[in-house]
Amino acid sequence: MIPQGGIRYLNPKITPTVQTMKFLTALKTALGLAPGCEKVNEFLADYVEGTLDEKTMAQFEEHMDMCKCCSHYMDQYRQTIDMTKQLDDIVVPAELAEHTMFFLRNSEAFSKDEG
Amino acid sequence: MKPTNKAKPERAGAPPDTGDMVTSTADGAEDAISLEALMAGDEKAFEQLVVQESPRLFRVIVRIVGDDDEAESILQETFLQAYQRMNTFRRESKLTTWLYAIGINLARASLRKSRRLSSLEDQEVERMQPQFNRGMFVETPAVWDPARVTEYSDRQQLVRRGIEELPEDYRTVVTLRDIEEYSTDEVAKMLDISSGAVRVRLHRARGALRKLLDPHMRRLPRQ
Repeated sequence: MIPQGGIRYLNPKITPTVQTMKFLTALKTALGLAPGCEKVNEFLADYVEGTLDEKTMAQFEEHMDMCKCCSHYMDQYRQTIDMTKQLDDIVVPAELAEHTMFFLRNSEAFSKDEG
Repeated sequence: MKPTNKAKPERAGAPPDTGDMVTSTADGAEDAISLEALMAGDEKAFEQLVVQESPRLFRVIVRIVGDDDEAESILQETFLQAYQRMNTFRRESKLTTWLYAIGINLARASLRKSRRLSSLEDQEVERMQPQFNRGMFVETPAVWDPARVTEYSDRQQLVRRGIEELPEDYRTVVTLRDIEEYSTDEVAKMLDISSGAVRVRLHRARGALRKLLDPHMRRLPRQ
């Protein structure tokens, strides 16, 4: 049975290793005490946007730290967004606004104003 | 028909807020156009709006309809409708948000009329999302290697094709949120859907786009 207040280490000089922490996080996930990959995936957009609350952020990062699948997926997700943000393939016609104003001035709406 | 001020709310004595100026920048520092002048049917102010918003709105419309000439016609029609309907603007959103909503609706109508279809259906977008079993990933996603697509033009082409394949409602959300970088709330108002729906649609669109990019980006096995 896990004592209240968490696991106490018999020898305080021995700090838990990264492996132990990962094992405990995985155990918490398996027991439903921490979010699994599917839940973490739902948080991804909010994480990238920086809108997760502090508690969820901590759970998210704890999971990312121990889960190779999710960290790979997040890397792909971020690269997808970065590549999308860099997209500047559409060439805007130089005289776009002039053409629009010409169209408007020839329309009834504008011409009536002139009179 | 000249727009009237009939719908203009009584604002005498009210402190000025950001709604009084139409700006294209987040801090409102430049290109400010008087909303009052626009609402009064001032042609000069409207011309300023056309100059300020045409490039960005054109890009949004091109992404929806996929044709430059058609997009230019829709852009012109958008500004005409905006000018004619200025008295219906209720100041519940930014004027630019209202303008974009008109443009997006016209672009969608044009797309439906042209029957130009995206190659992906909504159900396929669902299937392109990561698969989970008991809440955990079914298979480990591959590591991506950016060095596989180093040429700027190749990367642009890959992403552009991917976005073109998305169904229109996903394509539009990605365009507004990730490319044109409007806020989630602004996109929600432009599309007349909830902010939650924007987040879900954006997440799925990115997931589908990731899947389309995956074969081109995954690290190749060592020879």
